[in-house]
Amino acid sequence: MGESFIVLKGLRKEFGELVAVEDLDLEVQEGEFLCFLGPSGCGKTTTLRMIAGLEMPTSGDIFLRGERINDLPPQRRNVGFVFQNYALFWHMTVRGNLAFGLMVRGAPRSEIEREVSEMARWLELEDLLETKASRLDLSAMQRVALGRTLITRPQVLLLDEPLNNFRPGLREIMRGDLKRLQKQLGSTMIYVTHDQEEAMTMGDRILVMSAGRKVQLASPRDLYRQPNTLFVAGFIGRPPMNLLEVIYEREGDRAFLRKGELAWDVTPVRTTIEGGLRGEKVVLGVRPEHVLPVEEARRRGLEDTVVRGKVDLVQPLARKKIVDLFIDDTLIKMVVASDFPVAKDDQVEVVFHPLETHLFDKETERAI
Amino acid sequence: MNEERSREGRSKRFMTLLGQASRWLGALAICLVILLPVVWVLSISFKPPQEWLAYPPTIIPVEATSSNYIVLFQPGNPVGGVATMVSSAEPVTKALINSLLIAPVATAASVTIGFLAAYAVSRYRVGGTFMPFFTLTTRMFPPVAFAVPLLVYYRTLGLIDTRLGLILMYTGFTVAFSLWMMKGFIDGVPRHIEEAAVLDGASPWRVLFTITLPLVRGGLAATALFVFILNWTEFLFALVFTSREAITIPVQVSHYVGAVGRFYGPQAALGVVASIPVVVAGYLIQRHLVTGFTFGLVRE
Amino acid sequence: MASRVDRRLGGGGKKPLFPRLVRGIKGEGFFRGILPMPMQLLLWFLLIIPTLIVLYLSLVAWEPRMGTDWWQAPFAWFRNYGYVLSDVRFWQAIVRTIGVVGVAVALEFSIGLGLALFFQRDFFGKRLFTSVILYPMMLPWVVVGLAFYLVFLEKGPVNYMLIHFLGLKTGVAWYHYPALALSTIILADVWQWTPFMFLILYSGLGALPRDPVEAALTLGASRWQIFRFITMPMLKQVIIIALIIRGLEAFKIFDLVFIMTGGGPGTATESISLYIYRLGFVYGQLSYAAAMAVLILVSISIITRLAVRPLEYEA
Repeated sequence: MGESFIVLKGLRKEFGELVAVEDLDLEVQEGEFLCFLGPSGCGKTTTLRMIAGLEMPTSGDIFLRGERINDLPPQRRNVGFVFQNYALFWHMTVRGNLAFGLMVRGAPRSEIEREVSEMARWLELEDLLETKASRLDLSAMQRVALGRTLITRPQVLLLDEPLNNFRPGLREIMRGDLKRLQKQLGSTMIYVTHDQEEAMTMGDRILVMSAGRKVQLASPRDLYRQPNTLFVAGFIGRPPMNLLEVIYEREGDRAFLRKGELAWDVTPVRTTIEGGLRGEKVVLGVRPEHVLPVEEARRRGLEDTVVRGKVDLVQPLARKKIVDLFIDDTLIKMVVASDFPVAKDDQVEVVFHPLETHLFDKETERAI
Repeated sequence: MNEERSREGRSKRFMTLLGQASRWLGALAICLVILLPVVWVLSISFKPPQEWLAYPPTIIPVEATSSNYIVLFQPGNPVGGVATMVSSAEPVTKALINSLLIAPVATAASVTIGFLAAYAVSRYRVGGTFMPFFTLTTRMFPPVAFAVPLLVYYRTLGLIDTRLGLILMYTGFTVAFSLWMMKGFIDGVPRHIEEAAVLDGASPWRVLFTITLPLVRGGLAATALFVFILNWTEFLFALVFTSREAITIPVQVSHYVGAVGRFYGPQAALGVVASIPVVVAGYLIQRHLVTGFTFGLVRE
Repeated sequence: MASRVDRRLGGGGKKPLFPRLVRGIKGEGFFRGILPMPMQLLLWFLLIIPTLIVLYLSLVAWEPRMGTDWWQAPFAWFRNYGYVLSDVRFWQAIVRTIGVVGVAVALEFSIGLGLALFFQRDFFGKRLFTSVILYPMMLPWVVVGLAFYLVFLEKGPVNYMLIHFLGLKTGVAWYHYPALALSTIILADVWQWTPFMFLILYSGLGALPRDPVEAALTLGASRWQIFRFITMPMLKQVIIIALIIRGLEAFKIFDLVFIMTGGGPGTATESISLYIYRLGFVYGQLSYAAAMAVLILVSISIITRLAVRPLEYEA
């Protein structure tokens, strides 16, 4: 079985009629930062809880360091779990919370004191040691939640959307801190979130889930560049990928993708397309970053079909602009440099970066 | 807090089944303990005199009879040999009627007054923090402490042994419950509903009766039933302040007990009769019993 | 509005200021004022005036037998109080009552807690059992007293079971010995009020958040440790309220004693309420009873105020 640290095989969880997790296989490497990403209700939290032992799988196996731990109660698994609401013991002080893990293991008083002091110092909680947990502010609560789990030197750290309660600015900072912490400790972390940006910035690898199923497991880069389903394509990236329905047509030796009056010549890759195509309909996806103004495309030496669109909305951001274009009746988003001259109702000509266009059969993979 | 620990493997499933079964047995045992005294009273109430002290005691009477019950209402009636013992007693009809009159009336009064006051406290914070808690003192202190001066007081007012006197007393000593229970329910009605009505031009009275009241109907009923139980079962004040005219059921029960004569049968029968209304009432408001007894401080 | 808005819980012993009514203005002001009026009238009638009277009574020497009206009684100032404090029977009653309360409430709490924990898991017919458990609380005290009186009779079922299942020679004469008689009273009270504790603790337990328990699990705590360090402390507030309320109620115990033992044998099971009752209504020594009553009132107020302190600090 496993040189892999954690292995999930055929994991399945049902709640009565509802199948929360379906046939999940996963291998987690030691020391990696793995993100579970997906919309609400996709089963990521449930899976996390099963790894921790807080839920029992309906079928399937969980292995830790090669040992099957299905029947091991959570107390004995030595996994750290940080809850979304931190679940601190609000009737205890910070010190009490931090010390808890060691206390229940019967560690001697001196050791507990030592560890608690050190942890407090490290997390900058020294001043708050005697404060009641119910009176802490958010960031302190999170640190206590972390400290509480770390103090027991868990084999894995499981985090369930811990940064949800932070306002956006602080959130980014905390992300960095957490990632740094993980690298420092070298621990294995599994991090659940529904925010794709968060997963992309933090994860070594990301497991994308939807409706209880595993959709794609890859590094952020791979997810970005090679999404294997429509779901992933549409989910990753902000602004999200533009998706257009086109029809695949053969004309003799040549193959085209058509939409209305537009056509893309895809003859060179027609075998690949036909290999993966089930029906006639293809979804063409191109990221806003890869919708290039004609001049830019020419400059880069990329030739392809020119598409005309009418600008509907320009959203200026710090270093770029997001432009909404109407091509016929389809809305396409495009990202351009800040200094690119564009205003509402302009007519713009763009080219879809041919190497960065993705094709999907209504459901499956891509073909470029 | 239901954690399914249903593990795979036959032995483990068996363990859960065993666990379930033992829980069920345990609960059953508890129920038996709870029911024993009640069952015993019921049993005696249907036994003829010779079986009252029969040994070994049996649950099912050898010769079941309803004479105990009959004798309650018709003491002279020589049914089943009981009558000869009890002939000097009075029929319980008077006590029954009194209780049936006093309890509901006092309940209605208490709930009404409590409701009005609760509304004032909930919406307008009348009395600040102090007053509502002040009302709790009526329940904090032993009733005897109030009975002493009240006796004197009542005597001057001529309220001793009158139904009115008792009604007033009961109302007064249960408003605290009414207040707190209703307050809880009224607090649960969102203010903006009332505010909307006010904006539409309704006077405060209208708001109270046409908007708030219907919304707390359930709570009102629960409070009423709860207070009813309290009033029906009240003993001490009735004992002190009534003798012949306004006697209530609990006092009547106590008359059958005591050193003079041991009419266990009719005693038990009366006990059963006395219990029925409150058991019914209690059944109806099961969910709210805690709220009532803790003055709404612990919500369920 | 209320001039002395006293933020202390539980009333102040002597009855201080009466909250002022908002006067005069029609419409909302009037409405506001009139709503609580009936209740306030009642309180005056039933609470404040009697308290004044009882204070007065305690300071005079008066008994109905004397034939004079009570407002003409001669003042005796604190003599009654002196009598009370030197009355052995009084102190015995107090100690006895406190003892009964202590034992009964402790039992009710433990059993109630056990039951509440027991009911945490589902089992077959749980709802039904929950209904049944509530019944004792609803029965009139007198009936409970009656029931237990009958059950503990010499020839009653309890003795029967003791003899048959435990092999005692003869039945126990429950009402003959003070300790046993007290026990029957305690048992009756426990029987009737354990469901109360059960309900409170059960709903309290149900209201506790689950997350900290799960967190504790992941940190390696055993069930017992979780119970001790997490569950119980979180339940503290609820527990205190329950204990206070039940304790106060138990202290007033009267009906049960009256019906079951009448205070006997002798005065061995006389609760303080019963003693005051006897003094005032059987022996007719109203002034004396009044003084005793006042002392009790004051003590209870103080104790309640103290007992509630721990609650006030929790936000």
